[in-house]
Amino acid sequence: MGPILEVSKLTKRFGGLTAVTGLDFELRAGEILGLIGPNGAGKTTTFNIIAGAYAADEGEIRFAGESILGLPPHQIARRGILRTFQHNRPFGGMPVLENVMVGAHTRFTSGFPKLLVGGGKEEEKKQRQRAEELVEFVGLAGLRDADVGTLSFGQGRLLEIARALAGEPRVILFDEPAAGLTPAELDRLAEIIRGIAQRGIAVLLIEHDMRFLLPLASRVVVLNFGARIAEGTPQEVRAQRAVVDAYLGDAAAL
Amino acid sequence: MRVLAWVVGFAVLAALPFFLGSYHNDVYRKLLLWITLALGYNFLFGICGQVAFSHFAFYGIGAYSVVILLFQVGLPLPAAILLGVVICVALALAVAVPATRLEGFYLALVTLALAQLFIVVLNEGGNVTGGAGGIANYRLPPIFGWRIAGPAYTVVIVALLAATLAVLWRLDHSWFGRACRAVRDNPEAAAAMGVDVARTKVIVFTLTSALAGVAGMVYAFVDNTVNPPIFGIDNAFLILFMVIVGGAGRHAGAAIGAILLFLLPFWLSPLVGHHHQLVFGALIVAVILLQPKGLIGLWDRFSK
Repeated sequence: MGPILEVSKLTKRFGGLTAVTGLDFELRAGEILGLIGPNGAGKTTTFNIIAGAYAADEGEIRFAGESILGLPPHQIARRGILRTFQHNRPFGGMPVLENVMVGAHTRFTSGFPKLLVGGGKEEEKKQRQRAEELVEFVGLAGLRDADVGTLSFGQGRLLEIARALAGEPRVILFDEPAAGLTPAELDRLAEIIRGIAQRGIAVLLIEHDMRFLLPLASRVVVLNFGARIAEGTPQEVRAQRAVVDAYLGDAAAL
Repeated sequence: MRVLAWVVGFAVLAALPFFLGSYHNDVYRKLLLWITLALGYNFLFGICGQVAFSHFAFYGIGAYSVVILLFQVGLPLPAAILLGVVICVALALAVAVPATRLEGFYLALVTLALAQLFIVVLNEGGNVTGGAGGIANYRLPPIFGWRIAGPAYTVVIVALLAATLAVLWRLDHSWFGRACRAVRDNPEAAAAMGVDVARTKVIVFTLTSALAGVAGMVYAFVDNTVNPPIFGIDNAFLILFMVIVGGAGRHAGAAIGAILLFLLPFWLSPLVGHHHQLVFGALIVAVILLQPKGLIGLWDRFSK
């Protein structure tokens, strides 16, 4: 089977600064691809282009063989690419389960005429059940009716994941999911991410924390100054001189 | 069981006018219309988070449209109602499509301008709008040979309220209502979940404006007169206050706010005369500071 997501020759400039330069990589169903690099390497810019938040200057992004470059975020989500936010962005006016159900937005098919005559109840029930399963999957079962304002930071991160999964993604994008979590929460997160990949979902992980990423990722792409400087399994990448140099000063982390 | 409770509730509301005198019938009709308006505005402001000041203007646009189309143009009633709705929808789209694509307060500013412009157009409209004096002394044409008047017309208003609530309730308790709340709470995250934020805002603004227009059409035959002062800009703020005081985002909150702020002047005027505005102001400030979830939030706290 071919790659689900193909990024080729992606370039993004901000004025005189080239944040991403001719970046190529592929993502396959069921794999966990880590995109790493020091601060300012272009990880988040790449992430935002895939998610539709930024426009690219050059290059191409294909999802299941079709170009998605230039689509707005909501259409990218509709195609099956869902994301989490680095700084949790819950819907504050709704309890946990309702937040997850917003993630299922693109799964609903009942149109207005049907809703207005009281239809769509079966669909609503089905999605509610799925949302309950997802809340349980990430370990928030006891908090399904809780106000999101009462969640800890780590629980908020888990909610982000359940919400993204509710959209039945084929690709899930994680923006530094380890940031701000306790060691116990990191173990739990790693377990959840493995579980997601086992469901056949392609995982793209933007991460900074090597100790979290390297044991988890099946492949790693290393960025520095917007360009790919290495690619391979975590073991291969760890051995490369360029990677060590890029992380100089943080070498102990490898 | 719950459906039965609603049916009985609305049947009681529909039977009530037959036991009221003509003065109380008039107060009751206006109360029902304010609740209808507040429910619609709550969907726009409380549920979808859009601040607009045109809701009452659309009420006026609906009222004037149906009166002009019936008595100046000479259309039959069904055509006048249909065309009135088309006018409201077209105007709402013309305002919302550009305004909701911009960030921040543009919808508020554009709708405030629309509400002001509407009053100017009414005053300067010559024979079409009747100018400052408006249009009066018309009557609802007979429907299937039947002249609906008195308490029977109040039943029409109860039906309007029930239909408005049914539409809003069903949309709210669906994926669409959740999308609206998501747009209100965090537009960026809503978009990342596949919600077309601009489209959602446009649909909600157009829908609620059209509902206000239909309520205005019904209002046109309550006093059988339409004139500019009735549709003044102060009402736009009154609707906003009703929703805030009652509890934004909740249908029951909007209804409670409408009932309280509509009836308050009747109780206060004998005590403090026209100073009831001061009591209003104090109440609104107190609610915003002490109970941001409105009176319905207070109810929630005590009923737990």
